[in-house]
Amino acid sequence: MGAYIEQSLGLTNSLVFILSAAALLGIVLGFVTYSIYFQRKILGWMQLRIGPNRVGPLGLLQTVADVLKLLLKEDIIPKAADKPLFIIAPIIAFMPAFGVLAVMPFTESIHFADVGVGLLYYIALSGITVLGVVTGGWASNNKWALIGAMRSAAQMISYEIPLVMSVVGVILMTGSLNLIDIVEKQKEMGMWFFIPQFLGFIIFIIAQLAELSRTPFDLTEAESELISGYHVEYSGFRWAFFMLTEYVYIFAMASLTTVLFLGGWLPPFEFLGFIPGIIWFGLKFLAIVFFIFWLQATFPRMRVDQLMQMGWKVLLPLALLNILITAVLKTVL
Amino acid sequence: MLGFAKGMAYTFKQMTKKKVTHMYPDQEMVWPERFRGIQHFAPEKCIVCNQCARICPTGCINLIGKKSEDPNKKGKVIDTYDINFEICILCDLCTEVCPTEAIVMTTNFELAAYSRDELFKNLEWLDNNNTNVRGGNA
Repeated sequence: MGAYIEQSLGLTNSLVFILSAAALLGIVLGFVTYSIYFQRKILGWMQLRIGPNRVGPLGLLQTVADVLKLLLKEDIIPKAADKPLFIIAPIIAFMPAFGVLAVMPFTESIHFADVGVGLLYYIALSGITVLGVVTGGWASNNKWALIGAMRSAAQMISYEIPLVMSVVGVILMTGSLNLIDIVEKQKEMGMWFFIPQFLGFIIFIIAQLAELSRTPFDLTEAESELISGYHVEYSGFRWAFFMLTEYVYIFAMASLTTVLFLGGWLPPFEFLGFIPGIIWFGLKFLAIVFFIFWLQATFPRMRVDQLMQMGWKVLLPLALLNILITAVLKTVL
Repeated sequence: MLGFAKGMAYTFKQMTKKKVTHMYPDQEMVWPERFRGIQHFAPEKCIVCNQCARICPTGCINLIGKKSEDPNKKGKVIDTYDINFEICILCDLCTEVCPTEAIVMTTNFELAAYSRDELFKNLEWLDNNNTNVRGGNA
């Protein structure tokens, strides 16, 4: 891929770009389909139920049927909604979710753009999604949607800061923002960053859950209070786009956690090196996705005031402390 | 902090436990003795006392008696007996008040129909509805 990016844009390499992006989109959509299925299955098992089992063998086609239903639904735009913004909001929300995957290295050879500031690109781009959410909430012209959108904005902005601060420790230790360099550094050190950066890892996990609006930070959706938050007025394929954004972000965040803290494609022990890196990446990635669903089955939702206090009074000072400790250790050692 | 771990361990352990759900349409449900389903009516037991029609809170039972064909026998025998199941609330009063147990409850409940006409149950239908009849020891 790197060789193609070096070339000037021609017919061949633009075709390669389009096809590889389409292939990645296909993989991501497949992941989204089956992550929803396994989410429902895992939640079911943890609640002593079976989960979806009617459509297709073992219910494997349940999500396919659901998506098909969404695509066939009537496209409704409320009369009092701000029409152009209402239409553009799901697109603004989805595009960065897919765009961040451009810098994600799955193995040392399977990656798209090898950007020097890959981590910065990821964080900067993922911050745009909240704009789509707020736009959707505003354009719906509905008080519940607006409350959901405002909560979402408050939450995402509050937790973006500890999220970025927690990865600064990793950046300090590596001396690079390049995601491939970060994994190479972990290989060189012989241990994954979640050990030397344990505090940063914990903060990152908590802040990423808030960024993803997953339980226990699912205040933006809060079915029991706000019906479903910013996308109350959405239906059909526009709603599907918001859902898609949410699950593509799970894909992106789980990949980022794997790369930053769990050693990306590195095997846990040297003698297991014969198993290809993509399988190790996949295993770590799936473990994180499972962890997210596991939390969802276990914890209740946080209160809004608790959420803000935790973000600003606990996570941010701890993240700053983590940077300080890392900087001191780097200077002394 | 320990509480979080305890909660996580608890939910994790639930995954392999026996499920509490029942594959209902695939596996038949066995209902408890006091379950109230649509009635079974035995015309030979009926003495046309009209108590069921009187006590019915929604007035969904209609019955007509006639003179017995056997001249030696006193009293009436049942001629028509209808339950308008659209408005029956399955309150169980008709079966409780019946002095001869001519009308009893069954545990049959799968009664969804495409037409409202199908919910008008006549004597013949109620007589033939003789499966899963409640034992009367509830």
